[in-house]
Amino acid sequence: MARINPEFTDELKKYGAFDANACYNCGNCTAVCSLATEEESFPREMVRFSVLGLKENLETSLKPWLCYYCGECSETCPREANPGELMMSLRRWLIARYDWTGLSGLFYKSLAVSLSAFVVLAAVVAWFGAYENFNLPVIMHYGHYFEMAAITVVFAFILLPNIIRMWWLTIYKPGVRVPVSVYFTAIGDLIVHMFTQKRTLGCEDNQLRWFEHFILVLGYLSLLFTTVVLDWFASQSLFVVVLGYVESAVIFVVTFDFVRRRIIKDQEISKHAHPSDWFFVIWLFLMGLSAFAVRLFIDLQMLDNNVWLYLVHLMILVQWALVIVPFGKWTHFLYRSFAMYFEKLIEYTRSTK
Amino acid sequence: MKKKIGVYICHCGGNISDYVDVEKVREAVKNEEGVFLAKTTMFACADSNQKEMVEDIRKEALDGVVVASCSPKLHLLTFRGVVERAGMNKYNYVHANIREQVSWAHSDNKPGATEKAIQVVKAAIAKVRHAEALEPIKVKSTKAVAVIGAGVAGMRAAIELAEAGAEVYLIEREYFVGGRTAQWDDLCITEETGKELVTRLYDEVMKHKHVTLFTGAELVDYSGSVGNFNLKVKVTPRYFKLQCSSDELQKAIEVCPVEVPDEFNFNITTRKAIYHNYPSEYPQLPAIDMKNCTRCGECEKVCSSVDFSQKTEMLNLKVGSILLATGFDPYEPKKGEFGYGEIDNVVTFPQFKRIVHYCDDKLMYKGKEIKHIAYIYCVGSRQVDGENKYCSRYCCTANIHTAITVKKKYKNIYNYHFNRGIRTYGKAEVWYDESSRLGDIYLQSFEDHPPVVEKRGDQTFVKIRDILTTDKELEVAADLVVLVTGMVPRADNSIGNLLKVPKGRDKFFNEIHMKLRPVETVIDGVTIAGASQGPKNIMESMNSALAAATKSFSLVDSGELALEPTVARVNEEACEWCGKCEEACPYSAFEKVEKNGKTIAKVNAAVCKGCGMCLPVCPENALDLIGLSDEDVESMIDALIPNA
Repeated sequence: MARINPEFTDELKKYGAFDANACYNCGNCTAVCSLATEEESFPREMVRFSVLGLKENLETSLKPWLCYYCGECSETCPREANPGELMMSLRRWLIARYDWTGLSGLFYKSLAVSLSAFVVLAAVVAWFGAYENFNLPVIMHYGHYFEMAAITVVFAFILLPNIIRMWWLTIYKPGVRVPVSVYFTAIGDLIVHMFTQKRTLGCEDNQLRWFEHFILVLGYLSLLFTTVVLDWFASQSLFVVVLGYVESAVIFVVTFDFVRRRIIKDQEISKHAHPSDWFFVIWLFLMGLSAFAVRLFIDLQMLDNNVWLYLVHLMILVQWALVIVPFGKWTHFLYRSFAMYFEKLIEYTRSTK
Repeated sequence: MKKKIGVYICHCGGNISDYVDVEKVREAVKNEEGVFLAKTTMFACADSNQKEMVEDIRKEALDGVVVASCSPKLHLLTFRGVVERAGMNKYNYVHANIREQVSWAHSDNKPGATEKAIQVVKAAIAKVRHAEALEPIKVKSTKAVAVIGAGVAGMRAAIELAEAGAEVYLIEREYFVGGRTAQWDDLCITEETGKELVTRLYDEVMKHKHVTLFTGAELVDYSGSVGNFNLKVKVTPRYFKLQCSSDELQKAIEVCPVEVPDEFNFNITTRKAIYHNYPSEYPQLPAIDMKNCTRCGECEKVCSSVDFSQKTEMLNLKVGSILLATGFDPYEPKKGEFGYGEIDNVVTFPQFKRIVHYCDDKLMYKGKEIKHIAYIYCVGSRQVDGENKYCSRYCCTANIHTAITVKKKYKNIYNYHFNRGIRTYGKAEVWYDESSRLGDIYLQSFEDHPPVVEKRGDQTFVKIRDILTTDKELEVAADLVVLVTGMVPRADNSIGNLLKVPKGRDKFFNEIHMKLRPVETVIDGVTIAGASQGPKNIMESMNSALAAATKSFSLVDSGELALEPTVARVNEEACEWCGKCEEACPYSAFEKVEKNGKTIAKVNAAVCKGCGMCLPVCPENALDLIGLSDEDVESMIDALIPNA
C-alpha cells in the first residue's frame, strides 16, 4: 500500500518540472516514445508516480535514465504537461537522491547556492595565486597536481559511493539478484554505452545531436588524458601539443553549438534550460577555450606576462571539478551508462523467469 | 362503402420493384371491389406523382385512396396531405407498407414477396372501403397553466407563460421559493450564487400580475382533461401576518423551544419550529412548521405577528395545462456506504457545499481543520448492483468546481478525486483542466473495485486500486471524505401518482419521446420540466422549462383544441356498465353515466388515446374504435388470408 504525497510535485518543481499535474493520463507520450518498450514503458508511468508523489517507486526506477530526451513526448502532449522535461527533472532529482553528501540537491534547488560555490572557489584560487606571489611555474605545478588529486578524490569519495547507492536503490532494494558472473559479462554494455551513448540513436530526432555528443565525450575524455597523464601544458612533443589543441577545440566548438541552441531554443530538448544545464555547457566551453588559450599563450611565450589567464583557467577547472563533476550534470555521463548496465542485469532476471 | 378507390403502387426506385413484381400487384388488385383505378409509379412521393394523384382524385371524383409504398412513419402524413389538397377527407386515405414489411424483409424470395404485397394491398383496399370521413374533436381550453414547483425551472416557466399571455398559478409546497438552487452557494461557470439566481427569477415572477404564487401549497386532487383541468389546491398558512418586525422575529426564534434538523442545510445544522432559511430568501416572511410546533405559545408572547388563527385553505383552480417542475432529491447514501453514517468525517456533497458556505478563513468540520479532502464520485449513480443505472450529469462538474473554490478559498488544501471517469462535458472541461493544474489528484477505478473508506485509529483512509497507476493499491489519509452524490427522483411522488404521470426506468417522470417529444407526457396537457424528468444542471433545466412552457402554452393559447377523432366509442344499447373498461384504461378516459334510465360507460374523447386496451375486455362487445372498427379489421384479415 503506497501513500499518496501531493507535496512531491512542489519539490520536483525545484528541479525543473513545471506542469506534470496537468497530465490526464492519455498515454500519448508513451505511445510516441521511440525508446519505450512493453517491458520498459515510459514516460506516462513516471509522470503518474511523480504526480502521486510515490518517491519509493521513483527512486528504485531506472526509467528516467533510459530516456534520452528527444522531446517528442512534450511536443505531442495535449495538455502541455511536458513529460520530457519531467523526465529530465527526475534525473536531477535522482542524482540528488544518489548523492550521499546531499550537496547535489542543494545545488540543483538553489541557484544562489551554486553561484556562491563558484564564487568561493574562484576566490580560493585567486587567493592561492596571490599567496604564491603569482609565480607561474609554482601555480602550474600545483594546478597539475590538483587535476590528479581531484580526479582521485572525487571518484573515490563521491562518485563511487553514489554509484553504489544507485545500485542499492535500483538493484538490491527491489530484489534483483543475479550471479556475479553476469556482473562481469554485462560490463561490455557499460563501456559501450559510456563512450558511445548509442541508445540516443534510437531517438527519432536528428543524428547530428548524437554525433556532436559522441565527439564531445571523446574530446573531453582524451583532453583529460592529455592534460593529466601526458601533461599537455608542459609537453614538448609536437604530437601531444597538436592533439591537445584539437581536443580542446572540439570541446569549445561543440559546446558553442550547444549554447547557441539553448539560446535560440529551436528544439524541444533545448527549450527548457535549468541553471545546471547552462553551467554544464558554459563551463565545458570555457574549459576548452581557456585550455586552448593557455597552451596558445605558452607557444607564443606570452603566458609569463599573463599569469591571470592561467589563473582563470584554473578557476574554471576547480569549479568544474569540485561542483559540476561530482554534484552536477556531469554525473549523467556516469549514471546513464550504469543504468544501461543495471538494466542488463534486470533483463537477465527477466529472461530467466 | 367506397366505389371509386384509387390505388398507387410505388417502385421506390427499385427498393420495392427489385423484389416485388409491382406490375403483377397492379394486375391482381385492379379488379378488386370498389377499385376504380390502379397505377404503378417510380416514386410515389415525388412531386410529379403527388400532382397526378391530386388530378386523379379531382377528375375522377375518387372517394378513397391507397398508396402502397414505404413505412407510414415516413410518408403517411405526406399522402394524407395529398388527398386533403384534392379536397378529400384525410381519413379516406390508407397506407400500405410494401417496402419495410415486404420487399426488404423478403429479398430472398421474390415470388413470395409479390404474393405478400398483393395481400397487403388488398387488405388496405378492404380497409379504405369501410373508411369514413372524420373531423377532429374540438374542445374548449382555459388559458391558464398550473406550474407545480417554484424552483428555478418552475419560476422560469411561469415567467415565460405569463409573458406569452397565459394566467399562471405557481404552486410551491415549501414556504420558500428557489428549491434546490436556493440551497446552492457558488455555481459553476457563471460565478453567481444560487441565491442570486433565485432572487432574479423571484423578482421577475413578482413583476408579472398574471403569475399567482402559492407557497405551502399542494395539489391534492384534480378532474378534467387537457384544456379543462379542475385542480384542488391545499394551502397551508405560515401562521404569520404579512408585516413582521425583524427584532420581534429574532426574539420569537430565540424563545422557540423546538429544535429540529435543518433540511435546508442537509441536516448539518438545526433550526427552530419558527424559521426562515436565510436572511434574503423569498418570500421574505418566516413560517411556522406545524409538524414540529408544540403550540407552547412562547412566540406569541414576544412577536405580535404570529397568528395561529390562520386556517388551511382549499382552492379550486381551472387550468388548460399542468407543468410539472417538481425537482429532485439528492441521493442519501445508505448507512455504511463508503462509511456514511458510521465514520464521522464522511459527508455528502450537498452537505459539503453547506460546510464550505459556513466556513470563512478556515475549513472546519466537527471542530477539526480540514486539509486533505477525498471526493468519491458516482455515489448513488451508475450503480452496478443498485437501481440507479444513470449518470447524474451535474456532479463531476459541480464537485470539481467546488474543489477549486475550496482550494482558492482556504490555505493548503489537497484534493483527491476518486472517480470512475470524469464527465465534465460541454463547456465545463476547463474546470477539470484547471483543477488538475492546481495539483488536484485524480484516481480512477472500475465499478467492480470501488474505493474503500476505513478508519484506523483516529485517521480516516481512502484506499483504491488505481487503474491509472497499473492497478496499484494506493491510499490517502483524508480529513474529510465527500461522497459526491447524484440526483434521485423525489421520494414523495404524490403528484405523479395523482396525475398518473408514467415513470421511466430511472423512476423519474417519463417523456413521450426522449428526442422528438421531450417535455410532453402521455397524459395530454401535462408537461414536465427540470430535474423531475431526470438529472439536469441548471442550464439544462432552463432549456426544458422553456420548452415545456412553450408546449403548455400551445395547448391553451387558442382557447380551443383539435384532438384526434380516432377514439373509442360506446354502443349505448349494448353497454351494461360492468366497469371493466374503466379498469383497463391507462388514461382514465371512462366515466360512469346515467342515460335514459340506464347506467353506461362514457368516453371522454379529450382523454382517450385510441389505444384499444378497453376493446377486448368488454363482455358485451359494446366498444369500438373509430377508424379501426371490428368491421374494418375483420375485412382486412379476410383480405390478408383469403382462404382462411
